[in-house]
Amino acid sequence: MPCALLGDRASGKTTFLGLLYSAQVKYGTGITDDFRFHAPSGSLNVMSAVYEGMKDGRFPSATLKEEITELSFVFGYLRKIVGKLPYYIRQQNWSRPFSTLRFSAYDVSGEDIEEFIDTGIASRPLIQQLLKSVVVVVLVDCSKMTTDIDTTPYRKMLRYDSTVAKLLVSFQTYKRQEYSHLRDSGVRADTPVIYPAFVLSKFDSLRDDVLARLGLHRGFPSLDDKRARKEYAEALLRVFVPQTLSQIRGGKVAGVSMDRAEYFLSWVRTETAEGMDVVGAPRIVRQGFRPEGGGEPDFSYDEYVAFIEHFRDIAHKIPDEVLESEKFHTQAS
Amino acid sequence: MLKVVIAGDRGSGKTTFLGMLYATGVRSGSDKRDEFRFHAPYESLEEITGLFERLMSGGFPDRATKEGIRGVKFQIGSRRSGLLSRFRDREWDPSGFVTVRFTLLRAVEEEVSRLLKGSVVAKDQMHEVLDGDVVAVLVDSTKLAARGERDAPSPMGKFDQAIEWLFAVTYRLGSHPGRNLIHPLFVFTKFDRVGRDVLRAAKVGAKPPPVGRRSERAAYAEALLRHNLPRTLARIRERDGGRVIFARPSYFFAWLRTASTGAGAPEKVLLRRVGVGGWEPEYSRDEYLAFLSCLQGIAPHVGG
Repeated sequence: MPCALLGDRASGKTTFLGLLYSAQVKYGTGITDDFRFHAPSGSLNVMSAVYEGMKDGRFPSATLKEEITELSFVFGYLRKIVGKLPYYIRQQNWSRPFSTLRFSAYDVSGEDIEEFIDTGIASRPLIQQLLKSVVVVVLVDCSKMTTDIDTTPYRKMLRYDSTVAKLLVSFQTYKRQEYSHLRDSGVRADTPVIYPAFVLSKFDSLRDDVLARLGLHRGFPSLDDKRARKEYAEALLRVFVPQTLSQIRGGKVAGVSMDRAEYFLSWVRTETAEGMDVVGAPRIVRQGFRPEGGGEPDFSYDEYVAFIEHFRDIAHKIPDEVLESEKFHTQAS
Repeated sequence: MLKVVIAGDRGSGKTTFLGMLYATGVRSGSDKRDEFRFHAPYESLEEITGLFERLMSGGFPDRATKEGIRGVKFQIGSRRSGLLSRFRDREWDPSGFVTVRFTLLRAVEEEVSRLLKGSVVAKDQMHEVLDGDVVAVLVDSTKLAARGERDAPSPMGKFDQAIEWLFAVTYRLGSHPGRNLIHPLFVFTKFDRVGRDVLRAAKVGAKPPPVGRRSERAAYAEALLRHNLPRTLARIRERDGGRVIFARPSYFFAWLRTASTGAGAPEKVLLRRVGVGGWEPEYSRDEYLAFLSCLQGIAPHVGG
């Protein structure tokens, strides 16, 4: 199933993907073997290069980001029933042992998306693929969250909010039209659902004065307190991407529910010299060597695992919801 | 779908009004209480998001933005508060969602006059306008005149005539099967700049009665309009063979604080901090909410 990862230029997409790669390397090689990760060679080269650089304390370079136009990867989750079958059967492809989600990363400031936003015409294959997404992950760059309204970051955030809101509405429109086609063709279909997720990237760069002004404490609520996380994240989104938040809720009015949003953090610790500014590019802090591995970047690993796990249920559920739609498209083409 | 025509004089703040309606929808639609849902279709977002960005950066709509916006569509829905939050999702009732199509009538005098001269082209272009269920008249409060001792005509005379004609042609030429009544709404724009002499002459206070006191607000507004839009007021009280044509009008008082940026420079929209919710233009939010609520109230009575 296609999924979209949306982010602005320099919003931390490549770093996010590098850290996701790092997290899955650790998480996907556990003994339970119920999660698999795959990426096309081009994407894998970039993600592993980012990962290697991070293990060396470096953030991804601009040239590395330009090397590839489309970054994608696949999450595979072992189906519950298949997991109970003997190992031999599980290994057979005919048993379709994994539910998969195929993520593609999109730069919302990129040429293709800008053209689509300007014209509303989904002529390019990339946009057609984007609109089919059933999961939409939105990266919100916390380093651009400022309380100073006369600054460039404030205006950039305003623009980003408009663009993402328009994209979300175009997803809703596409899903709504697809639903109508199905119904008109006599196919029974449930009310369309899109699963949004927000990643608050560069969360460590969110300034204390911004949090204080918004009445928020410094620490993001823990993973087991979903309600508090939602409230905290929405308090930030309400201020910095209000159009996006209102259009996500408004999906219900448009007949496409996007109510089941989840929120995750992404941060990677960087070296700081006490009382002094760091000269040159910031360097990533790495963890020491331990029995389970070492030299890994010090990042929000638990959040990445939660991100991976969040999509497990969705991956299992989605085929039922969109199978009919896929059948319909196959018949039509 | 509820069809709302927004008619106002040049410079009365039609585009800004629409932008602030969107801003109100965005703010309420992202509110913590989650009692109001708001959706704008893709075709409406292109221009309105640009306008929103301008307003939220302290700028007024420029000429290109004004030219670009002819109309927008919003879908809105509300639910009552107080129920257990775990049941909230179920509580949204799709049948209660309202789709509102706003059409801006840019130059009301020219458009109506072309129509009255029998222009078929004008009628074709005015289709959206003539089929309106609601006509929202934007009255520029800075242009309101005080009734003098000599009882001289108001400088808003031409506008009054155009609006009167607009109501007349909307009733005579346009109709769709579900429309039983035309709902007139009057929005006083720039109400923070209304002249003191105007208020004194109308024998009303500086502040209009709060939202909710409908009859007091009507009396307040009509005291101001009696001298300025007499023909329009007479028209909307008209009956057709004893049948009521126009619904009882509602009145709204909109304002948006501005700040001077220096001699000769355009004014800026003043932004204010909203609790822990960021910023928004300093404006009469209650009035905009009341306007949206009024449309939600009208929608169930309009068919077609």
